[in-house]
Amino acid sequence: MRGLLSLFWLSAAVPALGQSAAPDSVAHPWYRLHHVALQTAGGAGVVSGGVGFVAVRDRLETDILVGYVPEKLAGSALSIATAKVLYSPYTVPLGQKFQLRPLTIGMYLSYTHGTINDEEPFQYTKGYYWFSTDTRVGLLLGGRLSYLAPRAANPGRTRRISAYYELGTNDLYLASYVPNIKGMNFTEILTLGLGLKMDL
Amino acid sequence: MLFSTLPQLRWAGCVAALGLLSGCELLEFSPNAYNGSKEQSNLTAKNLARMATNPLRAGDTLRFVFTGDSQRFYDHAEKLVESVNQQSGLSFMVVAGDISDFGLAREMRWVDDRLSKLDIPYLTVIGNHDQVGNGREAYQHVFGPLNYSFVYGDTKFTLIDTNSREYNFNGRIPDIGWLQQQTRSLDGAKRQVVLCHVPPLDGDFDPKLTEPYAKALEVAPKLTFALNGHTHSFGVSEPFDDGVTYISSYSFQKNQYVILTVWNDANDQPKFRLKTIAF
Repeated sequence: MRGLLSLFWLSAAVPALGQSAAPDSVAHPWYRLHHVALQTAGGAGVVSGGVGFVAVRDRLETDILVGYVPEKLAGSALSIATAKVLYSPYTVPLGQKFQLRPLTIGMYLSYTHGTINDEEPFQYTKGYYWFSTDTRVGLLLGGRLSYLAPRAANPGRTRRISAYYELGTNDLYLASYVPNIKGMNFTEILTLGLGLKMDL
Repeated sequence: MLFSTLPQLRWAGCVAALGLLSGCELLEFSPNAYNGSKEQSNLTAKNLARMATNPLRAGDTLRFVFTGDSQRFYDHAEKLVESVNQQSGLSFMVVAGDISDFGLAREMRWVDDRLSKLDIPYLTVIGNHDQVGNGREAYQHVFGPLNYSFVYGDTKFTLIDTNSREYNFNGRIPDIGWLQQQTRSLDGAKRQVVLCHVPPLDGDFDPKLTEPYAKALEVAPKLTFALNGHTHSFGVSEPFDDGVTYISSYSFQKNQYVILTVWNDANDQPKFRLKTIAF
């Protein structure tokens, strides 16, 4: 946690490093769809897919994903809607064709539909369980490698195709870890998501 | 740190399992999903099998640890394990439900990561917290059946799901018919014990079933005592004035547990001795 926070402050204080975002994305208005994404795991489903928006010179992204977990892996089929806000302060060019974003920090909010024991009316007294079964919030830390593919219609411009990873954790795992810092290892509460993004 | 090597090994395993995503806990599809290590599944059956390889001789007294409500007390779990491992003559430990706090498979595995360090096997019964969301399914995957019984040495144990509120008081939990069937016969044992999470006079126990539950225990032959968790406080009582002793467990957080010793006296009647241990 402390490491994650200090990374955040560090990245906020050093905003100018590696300023080489794709030029075509600079003029992109925040409300226009910017990319599509496909992910596995990371608490968003066996497979999840969706769209994303960018702002703040391509550094701030909002991704909306819808994912699925089959009954075989959870006891009931789950549909998961996830919204992520991601901040990637650095873009490092790797030759003409590749780009590295070594650091992405973010938060997510997810809602799971389809859980089995999901509070019927009058089942519990108020505040019986203090936590939500279906709504999760979490933190993310990741990175990505992008390939700059020339666009067929306009060879002067490129389209990024990126592979990313995201280490994360959620509110319930943090609520488990924080009172047990001595007895738990931080790695125990981590999750990993892997995905692909492609600029539109 | 005691557990520092294990997660790293698991990470290496995860990298190796990238192609076989469902085997890796790090690559989590949902906290409500239970896919993960095969080793941490069917733990009830595995622990019973371990007990079968270390049988108690007929006529021997049985000593076992009685605790409950491990939920989110991982620091305490470590200390409890250290303390239990210093005791001698124990056959196994029982945890009276609420293994997890949020009904998540990963929590159940966190508890097993610690309790598997016990020198003795451990067994669990499902608690109300273990049934939140998809917890009931996760519990069955990680541990096993919600209702089960076994005979060890001369003692029959019946473990039953009494978390009526988690079924919104549907009138079928606890399963009285199954309980009667189990407690009617000793299956060759000389005494019996019933273990559940929510005790029969609790607000989370179906009030329509309190009386039939208590009656089933009253008529159960050679019942030594009935055990429960849920209250987080240790207590011994006879709430129905029917000769049945109910014992409520400490939670892990209370830094105490109970050792129960059971045997039959010269008239073949069940007897017990109770010792509380602080850790």
